[in-house]
Amino acid sequence: MFPTKTILLRILFTFLTYIHGTLCLWPMPSNLNAGSSLLRLSPEFSIVVDVQDAPSDLTQAVQRATTYIQQDKLQRLVVGRGATDAQSIAKAPGLSKLTLSLTGKRPTQSISTEAISLLEDRSESYSLTVPADGSSATLTADSTLGLFRGLTTFGQLWYQYQNTIYAVQTPLTIENDTPAFPYRGFMLDTSRNFFPVSDILRTMDAMSWVKTDTHSWPLFIESHPELSAEGAYTSDSQYSQADIQNITSYAAEEIDTPSHTGSISFSHPELVACSDASPWSTFASEPPAGQLRLASPAGIDLATSIFSSAASIFPSKYISTGGDELNANCYDDDAETQAELKASGQTLEEALDTFVQATQSTLTKVGKIPIISEEMVLDYNLTLSNDTIAIVWISSQDVPSVVQRGFRVILGASDFLFLVLNVGLQDCGGGEWVGDDIANSWCDPFKTWQKIYSFDPFANLTSEQTKLIVGGMTLLWTEQSDPSNLDPIVWPRAAAAAEVFWTGAQLPTGTPLNSSEALPRLHDARYRFVQRGVKAIALQPQWCALRPGACDLNA
Amino acid sequence: MTIKTILISGFLAFSQIQSALCLWPMPSNLDAGNSFLRLSPKFSIVVDVHNAPSDLTQAVQRAQTYIQTDKLQRLVVGRGANDAQNIAKAPELSKLTVSLTGKRPTQSISAEAVLSLEDRSESYSLTVPADGSGATLTADSTLGLLRGLTTFGQLWYQLQNTIYAVQTPLTIKNDTPAFPYRGFMLDTARNLPNSFSVSDILRTIDAMSWVKIIQTDTQSWPLFVESHPELSAEGAYTSDSAYSQADIQNIISYAGERGIDVIIEVDTPGHTGSISFSHPELVACSDASPWSTFANEPPSGQLRLASSAGIDLASSVFGSLASVFPSKYISTGGDEVNTNCYDDDAETQADLKASGQTLDQALNTFLQATHGTLRKAGKTPIVWEEMVLDFNVTLSNDTIAMVWISSQDVASVVQKGFRVIHAASDFFYLDCGGGEWIGDDIANSWCDPFKTWQKLISVNQIYSFDPLASLTSGQTNLILGGETLLWTEQSDPSNLDPIVWPRAAAAAEVFWTGAQLPTGTPLNSSEALPRLHDARYRFVQRGVRAIPLQPQWCAIRPGACDLNA
Repeated sequence: MFPTKTILLRILFTFLTYIHGTLCLWPMPSNLNAGSSLLRLSPEFSIVVDVQDAPSDLTQAVQRATTYIQQDKLQRLVVGRGATDAQSIAKAPGLSKLTLSLTGKRPTQSISTEAISLLEDRSESYSLTVPADGSSATLTADSTLGLFRGLTTFGQLWYQYQNTIYAVQTPLTIENDTPAFPYRGFMLDTSRNFFPVSDILRTMDAMSWVKTDTHSWPLFIESHPELSAEGAYTSDSQYSQADIQNITSYAAEEIDTPSHTGSISFSHPELVACSDASPWSTFASEPPAGQLRLASPAGIDLATSIFSSAASIFPSKYISTGGDELNANCYDDDAETQAELKASGQTLEEALDTFVQATQSTLTKVGKIPIISEEMVLDYNLTLSNDTIAIVWISSQDVPSVVQRGFRVILGASDFLFLVLNVGLQDCGGGEWVGDDIANSWCDPFKTWQKIYSFDPFANLTSEQTKLIVGGMTLLWTEQSDPSNLDPIVWPRAAAAAEVFWTGAQLPTGTPLNSSEALPRLHDARYRFVQRGVKAIALQPQWCALRPGACDLNA
Repeated sequence: MTIKTILISGFLAFSQIQSALCLWPMPSNLDAGNSFLRLSPKFSIVVDVHNAPSDLTQAVQRAQTYIQTDKLQRLVVGRGANDAQNIAKAPELSKLTVSLTGKRPTQSISAEAVLSLEDRSESYSLTVPADGSGATLTADSTLGLLRGLTTFGQLWYQLQNTIYAVQTPLTIKNDTPAFPYRGFMLDTARNLPNSFSVSDILRTIDAMSWVKIIQTDTQSWPLFVESHPELSAEGAYTSDSAYSQADIQNIISYAGERGIDVIIEVDTPGHTGSISFSHPELVACSDASPWSTFANEPPSGQLRLASSAGIDLASSVFGSLASVFPSKYISTGGDEVNTNCYDDDAETQADLKASGQTLDQALNTFLQATHGTLRKAGKTPIVWEEMVLDFNVTLSNDTIAMVWISSQDVASVVQKGFRVIHAASDFFYLDCGGGEWIGDDIANSWCDPFKTWQKLISVNQIYSFDPLASLTSGQTNLILGGETLLWTEQSDPSNLDPIVWPRAAAAAEVFWTGAQLPTGTPLNSSEALPRLHDARYRFVQRGVRAIPLQPQWCAIRPGACDLNA
């Protein structure tokens, strides 16, 4: 066997299939039809918004799209970085216009409004046509949110060589690209280490580039300013209302109750059981210990008042009340809680039910839908309101039992229980952070993008049960993260989840999602992120990124 | 019931604050009080050195700048607010005098930093009285003074506009590193051109100097080699991405001024596929398929070691590098030489037949040529462990071997009488645990899991890294020290700081402080954590994006987030 021939064949093969086969969009649209003609962007190119009374956030989105196209300056990820395209570019027609318009009968609303409507009411689908001959491109959708998703796709078509901006795979037709799941999220824990607002905004920009729409985070409250004044590390390290207004266009929020509430003891020590108790591992899953006294009327009042205040600040229809890692030892050892239980004649579980009823009804009264942690469904016998969404975070193995339990608990009362899947804790694999523990992190190993990408939202579910899955998210708990490593730890891994929940089980070709097909596109997305100032990590040496398949195990 | 426990644990935390002087790496000895000392607004560092070299005066200026601009608040509850009263009453320090003792001729820091390891002098003595009288720093060499300035700079915190120290009087006598080689290796070959800009490298050099890491080993082809400009012109990803001669000089002198010895590695004869861009006729199995038969990672390609033109190219490259790099040490690599590649290469087989040599013999000839070139230029070669353990080649006794495959291999290398640099993947590879980078492999990384800082300095001595493990007392002098390494298949400027820091600092302490703290206690992570937090927060103040090790709630309450707290 002499290798030279094989090499030539392989290079030729990868070269051809890459250029003609893979349109580097991320997430991959649910359907597409692409040619192999080059198209230049005319210097006079403009995006025309053919929408009556276009909302200002749509015009701004158009401006951002135009800016990205002009400033991405992304060279193609091929050997020579596009130098071999020069001749074809020179001969290519120029595109001078993209027209945006709304179709259908939906009233015109701002993107911000569309983005916080109920999951079942949201419309994100769009159609995009980019002819190869230079005649106008068109983008249509039922809603401004759909137009926004289409603009994101359009922005991923363009590369730059010297001063020319060009696309390589026209004509392009995408018809009614629709997400497989309405909930595609990323959770950033802002309570363990602090992130400035600019970090959060940059993260939300990056999320929008891969059509991830739900940013959730744990935080601060109008009716109880003392909570953040006393509970935050310093007065600089809390989010003001102005900050929150700035952030909330599509953020959902979580305030974890009744556990993980030790920080309330800074302002309300009388309402917290086992505050900073020792050894913490007896009273909590992580230090410092501390849980709201769930059986005390004052504790219930504080919690409901917080949620009602949060409900008025956050436009999202969804608020998470948490409910993870509730520690029973903490209440068993707390004299005040025991006295309250005795007085009311309740068990701890009954008191928890009362507490959950109070916080949930506060939310449902103002039209919000509560999101809770899986333990509230699996570990306790609680009455949950009809449309509660449960987050399965402990293990994807728990999905069937939550679904099953969901039917049993909820069937009588109402119709269904939604599920949001945790596709990967981005903080895993970085080692244990508890001081004197040399172990690896509890959720080792590191969740690679390939692992996240191989996630099957429908695993072990019956087809009836699959209807309960509203989507999924990646999560970053920040014991060992702060602005120093936010971008590299989140990106591009969160993008892998974005595709799982937008594209669904199959590529437009009918092939199941697979990492070999995805890698060149994910490289492309990652290099574009870097051009836009997000410090996403490299997935391979550039030698490999320019030679799709050449660094595969069996290449 | 629980309340009492809390009080006790709070008290313990208090005692820890009083006793842990947050220096990193911990000096080999120290004596510290608990008096506050303010830095006078007129504070200055006086250099009492005849004909002080300019890099010493610059180091003094940098130290002064750090003290003024660190603005680090103490990592205690209240971030120092409780210190206000004590600060107001504290005496003021207005002077640190820096002087040389002993008979060593005065040389620049840069010159001292590239001496052979056995000739270097890094020890220093520092005294900071509690009453405001002048502080003194003495050393035998300017390099020792630089190390002492680094320590002095770690004493200071800021509350509002006052800069103050909390543990005076302080006396450190002849703080000396346990091991002379304390390194960090940065692979600049894999991720060009998004690879590290010169400024990334300089920032890393700065950070290294803050924790007294002194060697930087760089594996590279994107390097301008004077005698062979075609190598970088063709082998780098783009013309922007090769380090120019000016870049290299800039890096060398910047490092030298900070007491850091830059050691260059050009890996031969394996891992040399990139030579094929300029010299295709000298490379065997260039980009051959399947690559896994011919190399440990793609693309395959090895210099034709039996060809006289191949030997000439390698020798000429090393000759050229020897004149550019002032270090006494150059690494010729030697890892992962793939014999299939040569077995399948018709040219190599023909060369071997012509000379009547086996592959081992040809490798030996190749090594004699490259090492001979280095020796003629006064350099000592460094090789990867395979050259000692796997091939029957002649290496001169002073050759230094880097042990990378497993820390278990140290004993066999020492057995053969060679000096060793610890670089084992099971402790020191910073890139492990981030997942596999091979395209169609969803496995974890080959050297999983992630190497935590506690892997080096763990709860008790039994699990901490012991540089002298399983060696006889007669062999310990062969251990020169060790280094952390960052291979960059999945790293580039986006994650350089967070992946390296503060973990590389943990190794810095293992090799500076040695097995024991000044108190006689073995190094242990419970004692180390508050100091490492302090070092990390100082890094962040200085613009290096080191990751947090715990939530800040824990960082300001030493011990409270321990497993058994």
